[in-house]
Amino acid sequence: MAMAENKIKFGKWEASALIITLIITQLILGFPRLMVETAGTAGWIVVLYVTILALLAFFIIEKLYSSFKGKDLLDISERIGGSILRILVGIIFLAYFIFIISIVLRSFAENMKVITLQQSPISYVTMFFIIGMIAGAYAGIEALVRFCAIVMPIILAGLLLIFIAVSPHFNFENIFPILGTGPIDIFGKGFLRVSVFSAISLLFFITPFIKTHKSFRTVGYVSIGVSAAFFFVGTFAYLLVYPFPIGVEGFLPVYQLSRLVEYGRFFQRIESVFVLIWAASALIYLSSVFYFIVYVFKKTFKLEYYKPLILPFAILIFNISLIPPNLVTAVELESKYIRTYVWIISFVIPIVILVTAKYFKRGTNKEEKKNA
Amino acid sequence: MPKNVHIKCPESIEGVKALADYKNIIKQLLFFNVPPKDETFILKERESEIKELQSEEEEQQPKKRREKGKIRKITNPCCDNNTGKEGNGGNGGEEDKQNQGAKSPTEVSKKLSDNLEYMKKIYSIPTNGDMVLREFDIVVKNEVIPAFMIFFDGMTDRKVINDNIMQPLMLLSNLDIKSDEQDVESFVKDHILPHCQLKVEKKYRSIIDEVNFGGCALFIDGVETSFVADVKGWEHRGVERPNTELVLRGPQEGFGELLRVNTALVRKTLKDEDLIVENISIGRRSKTPCSMLYIKDIANDDLVDEVRRRLKSIDVDYIYDSGQLEQMIEDCALVPAPQILATERPDRVATLLTDGKVAVMIHGNPFVLVMPATFPELLTSPEDTYVRFPYGNFLRIIRGIGIAFALLLPGIYVAVTNFHHEMIPTDLILAIAASREKVPFPSVVEILIMELAFELIREAGIRIPGPIGPTLGIVGALILGQAAVAANIVSPILIIVVAVTGIGSFAIPNFALGFAFRILRFGYIFLGAMAGFLGITTGLFLHGLWLVSAKSYGVPFMSPLAPKVRVGGYENLLARAPIWKQEVRPDYLNPKDTRRQPKISRGWVQKKEGEDGNGGKQD
Amino acid sequence: MRKLICIFLIVSILCGLLSGCYDRREVDELAYVLAIGLDKGKTNKLKITLQIAVPMAIGGGGEGGGDAEKASTIVTLESASMYAGLDLANNFVSKQLNLSHAKVLVVSKELAQEGGIEGFMMALPRGREIRPNMFIAVSRQSAEEYIRAVKPVLEVNPAKFYELNFRAYRYTGFTANTDLHDFYLKMKSLYSQPVAILAGVGRFDEGQEFDVKGSTFDEKNRSIPLEGDFVAGEITKSGGVKAEIMGLAVFDGAKMVGELDGEATMYYLMIQGDFNNSYMTMHDPLQKDKLVILNIKRSRNPKRDVKMINGKPVIDVKIRLEADIQVLQSGINYEMPQNLVILEKAYEDFIKEGMKRLLYLTSQEYNTDIFGFGERVKQQFITWGEWEKYGWLKKYKDSTFNVDVDLKIRRPGLTIRSSPIQYSNGEGAQ
Repeated sequence: MAMAENKIKFGKWEASALIITLIITQLILGFPRLMVETAGTAGWIVVLYVTILALLAFFIIEKLYSSFKGKDLLDISERIGGSILRILVGIIFLAYFIFIISIVLRSFAENMKVITLQQSPISYVTMFFIIGMIAGAYAGIEALVRFCAIVMPIILAGLLLIFIAVSPHFNFENIFPILGTGPIDIFGKGFLRVSVFSAISLLFFITPFIKTHKSFRTVGYVSIGVSAAFFFVGTFAYLLVYPFPIGVEGFLPVYQLSRLVEYGRFFQRIESVFVLIWAASALIYLSSVFYFIVYVFKKTFKLEYYKPLILPFAILIFNISLIPPNLVTAVELESKYIRTYVWIISFVIPIVILVTAKYFKRGTNKEEKKNA
Repeated sequence: MPKNVHIKCPESIEGVKALADYKNIIKQLLFFNVPPKDETFILKERESEIKELQSEEEEQQPKKRREKGKIRKITNPCCDNNTGKEGNGGNGGEEDKQNQGAKSPTEVSKKLSDNLEYMKKIYSIPTNGDMVLREFDIVVKNEVIPAFMIFFDGMTDRKVINDNIMQPLMLLSNLDIKSDEQDVESFVKDHILPHCQLKVEKKYRSIIDEVNFGGCALFIDGVETSFVADVKGWEHRGVERPNTELVLRGPQEGFGELLRVNTALVRKTLKDEDLIVENISIGRRSKTPCSMLYIKDIANDDLVDEVRRRLKSIDVDYIYDSGQLEQMIEDCALVPAPQILATERPDRVATLLTDGKVAVMIHGNPFVLVMPATFPELLTSPEDTYVRFPYGNFLRIIRGIGIAFALLLPGIYVAVTNFHHEMIPTDLILAIAASREKVPFPSVVEILIMELAFELIREAGIRIPGPIGPTLGIVGALILGQAAVAANIVSPILIIVVAVTGIGSFAIPNFALGFAFRILRFGYIFLGAMAGFLGITTGLFLHGLWLVSAKSYGVPFMSPLAPKVRVGGYENLLARAPIWKQEVRPDYLNPKDTRRQPKISRGWVQKKEGEDGNGGKQD
Repeated sequence: MRKLICIFLIVSILCGLLSGCYDRREVDELAYVLAIGLDKGKTNKLKITLQIAVPMAIGGGGEGGGDAEKASTIVTLESASMYAGLDLANNFVSKQLNLSHAKVLVVSKELAQEGGIEGFMMALPRGREIRPNMFIAVSRQSAEEYIRAVKPVLEVNPAKFYELNFRAYRYTGFTANTDLHDFYLKMKSLYSQPVAILAGVGRFDEGQEFDVKGSTFDEKNRSIPLEGDFVAGEITKSGGVKAEIMGLAVFDGAKMVGELDGEATMYYLMIQGDFNNSYMTMHDPLQKDKLVILNIKRSRNPKRDVKMINGKPVIDVKIRLEADIQVLQSGINYEMPQNLVILEKAYEDFIKEGMKRLLYLTSQEYNTDIFGFGERVKQQFITWGEWEKYGWLKKYKDSTFNVDVDLKIRRPGLTIRSSPIQYSNGEGAQ
């Protein structure tokens, strides 16, 4: 099995599709609102700022990564600190993934409940996502990326369609005052929002599958670029339709935009179609991150199979997701803690590891030889 | 009391056993079982760099296997070359037959009476009514030798036997032949029998096989061999229009039941000396002749080897139909789509062969299997490429909509009417509400009733004897629908939904894929009823994962969509590019020759060198 | 693979057992509210009127059209809040009430003036069923009266009546598109105030009863009321549907502070840039007893500018219109380029005067910036804090306005040259 997994290989398109879908999920989960909350009418500037920051961070990581072709973060940390560091890094990422997936699972289920299934108990709605998660993890990364490759264009097209269709409601005056709640908010508070790109950290785990450094670089830049473009368009559209103080009220921006779409007496009320896009990206996000949880666990502890881990972890995540007592707590947890501090895990830790690996342990090639 | 205990005891033991069974089942379902180390076939990249990377060991292994297969082929035509233990397991029947042969003679005897006796025993003469055993004498060098011949009546061409075998043997042998040949065998073979397809066989086994397949065996006294003439001549259907894949534009001929006719039809379309037709017989008893077709310098060798390996490893006693064969050689039985394309059209087989695929024909069946098949290919019709490309694209769009309807419409109807009321325009929702007012069933039950009725009409329409079929369709569709509405069992809008779904499913060009969609449609109805669009999306997600992880002969089933291939495939996938743009073969097949045509295949669009502006006109 | 299927089957069976399909509602198990009316209650805070569609009468089950009279049923009840009212209503309406197809919210003028829709508006973004594109209207009579007066003649389905009637502003210019989304945004914004469609029930049953007491033509010093000098309920008409819409209700926050008549509404649309096209009647500039009618269209978006002079806003509005000649009663040859200028000038002055009247009405009398001039002020600020402190809505009342109208007559219709009607006594000869 371990042998077979190493044979798995996928191209740039698939990898980019996966990372883009994972990042884009934030757009659906309320990213535009968060931006508007951060800097008021200047939310769109925050997007640009954050994009530049993310690109910068990725530039550093990518340069450092050039000497570790085809190795993921765990391999590299093992190289510098042996099994202890590998397990440490593995556990940090595991904790982060589990925490984030639980919260996201909860928010998705709660949002779904608010949008269409008000009467159903939360566990029933969660069940659908859990089924998707488990199935996705069983099918494996290869199936998931292929599915992404097909669905990602559809999701993006759907989102774009909503943004375009809602354009009659645009009011360009809404971007004034140009600096929103002030430069401190934009560049100070906004800095923490770089966490929206935290899904890029999965890229450091799929390196063994995408082989070459060149494709690693392309995938990173392309997925940050494309998702940033969508973040920008989404935030901008939301801001133009819902002016600043009101824009902070709703917690599902894209859904609220889709509710407004109206062309004549017949072409309106399309927001239920949005549920399709929305649930699809939720399922992809959850199952991919879930796959990586079991994968990282397997790799951290050098297990032979990952499939036995699926059910226990699914149950664990299901239970964690039900811990927050209400939706507001879940949203709060997500925006206050996760979306504020995860950038440390997804950008700082890799940089630290890579720097150490590159400049302090260059001589020891024992592990490398072993691997070769 | 003791009796009671006595009675209880075995029950409880059984109960425990049953419990243990359940435990096992639950264990198997829920807990992890170490996956069996299956050998999975992956179609390797053609690039030389990858081949270099492969260690020598890996390269040698398949060779060994092939050699093994060859050796066994001589002794045992349908051996399983997968493992080394084929002798005791699957081929028990074969061994029995051979054992029988060891007791009774396996080779043709010199004495005619022995042969006669043996043949009579084997073919249960005179019980077997259509078996003809004709005894006669021939004259060789003024010597009268008794002989007999044996063949199946109806499977052989009597005229050929009379003119080419009987006549020369009985009449021409009297002529004075200028030859000093003394050996009877070579004399008969070289001088008396003018038939063109004549084999000299020693073994009873191969003689019997030939006779079973329309041959005529001739035994002569004092000769240790038998002459087997191929005089096949049974009644068969001619080359007719295909029944399933009809086109308006394009060739109208379809495969028939005769293997040789079918191979000839392909060869006729594909005039290429590199087209290889390999003969393989399948079935321990039936020895059904099959042909494997591929183009030597296009098809990937690994693919050809894999198809050959799978075909040869099949160990069944009878096989009649390509449908059976398909199930024996497909990758996964549970994938909700056919992984091998079955077609009745020689032109389609030819096109697919030129892409680098492998076709398998089986005798007695007009359906030819082409592998590997990918999902997008199953959605195309040969006509798409025969009409001009805008029309072809239009056909594809229409078909795509039809497929979406066939799969999702009932599910979406249920989801929308049960969960997403705000989605329906006001006038329509009021109309639906009004039409449903007197219907006693929930809409899920309503739609299940109608879908079931529709499936019933469909099935009955096929099974019913000829002329009543269409009548039943009309009765079912019109009267049943009308009456159901009038009786307030279903709402009229639902009839439209079911009818559109049905029409959509007829637009699926591949019949087998249509089956898959028709079944899954019910799943989507349930999912839609469970959680509206969330349920349907979950269904699509699972369905998608299922399809995406499937493989057909090492080729990912959803390619070239996912994984995306660098070149090829896209020109003729969802939308069809003009035919002169389709320059490369699909990359996922890793063909040996990647290019179909040069960048400029229409030479006339480019001015030849040295020509000026008028040059074109003069041409 | 097999296990995947097994697990999927097990879980889906579990789900099926678990579910009982919590949210499943058949289409015919719901009652669709088409219009909601809010009045001041006698015994409680609110009097709620719900117009509920009767599908059997509308859909007709295929008998070719239903009965407009029976197409809807109207219930009225009093309760503390709207959702409480829905709960109450479900005790005598057999099907569960569903608001997702409600087309219009009608509030009585009385309630609107007291700010009574505040509670409803605050509940709006939470409710999933209420559509953001629902129209909001203020009824000059009670909302119940208005809804009961909606007896569509041309349509069977009242929903269609609302949808078509409330969109008529595109070719009349006498109402505006005031959907709930728009209303909500403007109500909460710091730079603009909302308006709502003014609705009413026609006063007259027969032609003999007609009077023009309710018309605004007196205030404008006109001899006869032109088509824009009415508000809903005052239109001199009989027959047809008694429910009318014309003009706008002007709000300050969630409180109604005034009314605009049809003509003012047209100017409102022009300043907003939402004006599409409409006919406009005016006295002939050369022959005062005759009328001229133009079909006016918007040619460019309006230019609006706010300057601060001595701490007081000075607002420049530049409107660009184009027009086709529809009727020239006088027979004067206005098609000639030199005469055309006279007509254009007259119309420009006419519109300018009306616009100034409207602008000063909103700023000095109603003290509410329904045009959203604040948007232009907002641009001049760098950060939100400064803008918020500035408090535009308070400052609007001190505004002075400069209006510039540019009207170009492009086409004379089918007639290129008018000639007068000839009478035997020689009148009409030029």
